[in-house]
Amino acid sequence: MDLIDQLRDVVGDRVSAAPSERVCYSSDASQIKGMPDYVVRPISTEEVSKVVTLAAELGVPVTARGAGTGLAGGAVPVKGGIVLDMSGMNRILELDLENLQVIVEPGVVQARLNEVLKPHGFFFPPDPGSSNICTIGGLIANNGSGMRCVKYGTTKSYVLDLEVVLADGRVVRTGSRMLKSAAGYDLTRLFIGSEGTLGIITKAGLRVAPLPKARRLVIASFDDAETAGRAVAKTFASGIVPSACEILDRTTIAVLLRCDSNLVLPEGDVILFEVDGTESSTKESAEEIVQVCSPFATNVVSVSGEKEMEEIWEARRLVGAAVSRIDPKKSRIYVGEDVGVPIKKIPVLIREIGEISERFDLPAMKYGHIGDGNLHVALFIDVLNEDEWARLEAAADAIHRAAIRLGGTVSSEHGVGAARAGYMKMQWGEGTLSVMRAIKRVLDPQGIINPGKLGLDDGPSSGGEG
Amino acid sequence: MTEAKIEAKAEARIDPRAIELCVRCGTCRSVCPAFEVLGWESRNTRGRIMVVKALQEGLAPDSDVLDSLNTCTTCGICAAKCPAGANPPVIVQEARRSLVSKGVMTEAQSGFRAKVNESGNTFGEKADRLGWLPDRSSLKDKSDYVYFVGCLDSYRYPEVAKKTFALLKRFGVTLLPDEVCCGSPLVRTGSEASGLVDKNLGQIKKIGAKTVITGCAGCYSALKKDYPPEFEVLSVPEFLAEHLSELDLNRLDITVTYHDPCHLGRHNGIFDPPREVIKAICRLEEMRTSRENARCCGGGGGVRAGYPDLSLEIARRRLLEVPPGVDAIVSCCPLCIRNLRDAGSKIEVIDLVDLVARAIRSR
Repeated sequence: MDLIDQLRDVVGDRVSAAPSERVCYSSDASQIKGMPDYVVRPISTEEVSKVVTLAAELGVPVTARGAGTGLAGGAVPVKGGIVLDMSGMNRILELDLENLQVIVEPGVVQARLNEVLKPHGFFFPPDPGSSNICTIGGLIANNGSGMRCVKYGTTKSYVLDLEVVLADGRVVRTGSRMLKSAAGYDLTRLFIGSEGTLGIITKAGLRVAPLPKARRLVIASFDDAETAGRAVAKTFASGIVPSACEILDRTTIAVLLRCDSNLVLPEGDVILFEVDGTESSTKESAEEIVQVCSPFATNVVSVSGEKEMEEIWEARRLVGAAVSRIDPKKSRIYVGEDVGVPIKKIPVLIREIGEISERFDLPAMKYGHIGDGNLHVALFIDVLNEDEWARLEAAADAIHRAAIRLGGTVSSEHGVGAARAGYMKMQWGEGTLSVMRAIKRVLDPQGIINPGKLGLDDGPSSGGEG
Repeated sequence: MTEAKIEAKAEARIDPRAIELCVRCGTCRSVCPAFEVLGWESRNTRGRIMVVKALQEGLAPDSDVLDSLNTCTTCGICAAKCPAGANPPVIVQEARRSLVSKGVMTEAQSGFRAKVNESGNTFGEKADRLGWLPDRSSLKDKSDYVYFVGCLDSYRYPEVAKKTFALLKRFGVTLLPDEVCCGSPLVRTGSEASGLVDKNLGQIKKIGAKTVITGCAGCYSALKKDYPPEFEVLSVPEFLAEHLSELDLNRLDITVTYHDPCHLGRHNGIFDPPREVIKAICRLEEMRTSRENARCCGGGGGVRAGYPDLSLEIARRRLLEVPPGVDAIVSCCPLCIRNLRDAGSKIEVIDLVDLVARAIRSR
């Protein structure tokens, strides 16, 4: 019996080998491409387990995919095989709020979980720009984060338990409903950020946090991004912990105003500081931030209107894809877009990115979670111009190398996938990478679970090693 | 296979920049009503754009390709939400047109086209299109205003046509003596509609109309965008809102909600006039999503004809957004009204003109 028929036996008509369907699953939001042979949309752990068992018997690669919003090709089947579209496993199984947790399937969309939690006074803090789209499974697999992680931490701080289908089809649990545990290896953390290379997540127990009673936004603008970076370092050094701390350089501000001219944003390079807590605590913290930033800033204002703040955050969430608004001939290409450095080094990184942008004659929009050292660099090109593509790749490489040189990372929250696999050895060194490879071999001896990612494949690493 | 590939290469006519605007961020996944029901990546906007691009690169246009493109209702919520400013309904429509021009289409598409071209209406009706009009002798040969009735109101909702004409007649509005389908259903599904356009346009010119008024969102969009800009187009709600004080309306002690037709609202920005008319008559309570964010009824873009189950499921999900306790769902598009009724609305679904007529009648 052909594999497609065997897959049909497991999932009925939720399998496709149609060329057009395979095309649609051949990439995410990155430039990585890989054509699957089959797309399967499971709706239960049992189905996932059966599909993986079949794949293991035949040595066929299996790549899990959530909403396909990834920016590094993590869910792209670069070695072909089966793509498991997990977005159909989208039930919120239990709100166990007395134990401060929820049990969900991996296909639940982040924003939907928060919609459900809101009336109960709770939220799941990791809030990527794609929160209206991305799935919890993808967030866990990439240790995703977002604007509020500077205070609340990344996804790994919120995962208590996972159900995982291993490479041979076995189903295991990695944790429990305990908010803490000191018994054995922390397998939950092992799977978080593993980008689906060690197994397929089919269920997750997530810790949730109480919604703050009040939020307040401080908008500070500066003459240049480097000065803005210095103001951020100074703010943190003063002991203030904002719930979000975002940089929007002047190009980003121009794009945002092009999208919505009613937004209350000043010109220049801008830092958005959000503080949350109670009415009085946020007022006090906001005033402190204004004081710290004033010597550096050209303009500082404090905003507390809920609608005004939400409009700014909503625009900020989507700005990454919006550069075409200032020049419809240019498209944002997600490369070199997720570097991070220790926050003290942020001004240096910003300066180096400015130099790289000039050297390769490519405009760069800089925005991101400056509060945790994570800078999103948006390079945009005319995609019909081959020369610009070549310069783009060279610029992205230079950005990645700069981050590593400054003691940082090639990815702060988007993941390594295939796009940044070549930098793993440069960032970690052979010793650390060999441990990662050994773990991979133990859990996936055939190398069928999301192969071609994270630089785990044996043999010489490609590209980016210098 | 080779032949299909050669045909598909000709797809390159679609502006590559329009396609490249899509950065595959997936924002459209969160709003595409067809995708929400069907679940496959090829059934959402991002997937459709990838399919169109693949067609240009040589993908053979098989039935799965057609199902991907044809399950789009062209509701345009993806365009409204797209951070990159892409306009997917235009890309989808262009791709359909390109395929149809080479004879690549579903049976539903070809059957529909044949029916419309043969009968001049979307139902293949042979009956008199003006059958709803008891006496046509009083129709004026010349007028500044023409009421374009549309296929649905002519043949399926003649009472709405009657009420609309009764309202408009007092302002000197006349009718086309031999109106045919506006062409929208053909254009949306990738076919040419120039024969229909010419026939209607000739009559509009002969009457000397400067303004064409229509009560159908699909007709409105077609008259506005697919006809030469030789006359002004007004929707019935716009016309009524402009003449509110002359309508002598009585207030009704009811609460209604309003469903924004995609082709009137998102595509043409007509959000306020129907609301003004409603508020002049009774209380209005908005649906969970409204205006730019309103969910589609599932009827447009050829989906009702080509994929009836999908179409009705989208309508059922729209009905879940009706606020509790309202007395009626009001809309300004007979296709939306029909689809919402067919999806089993427990609450009466009526045309804005029905509401206006009640407000006048209750006096």
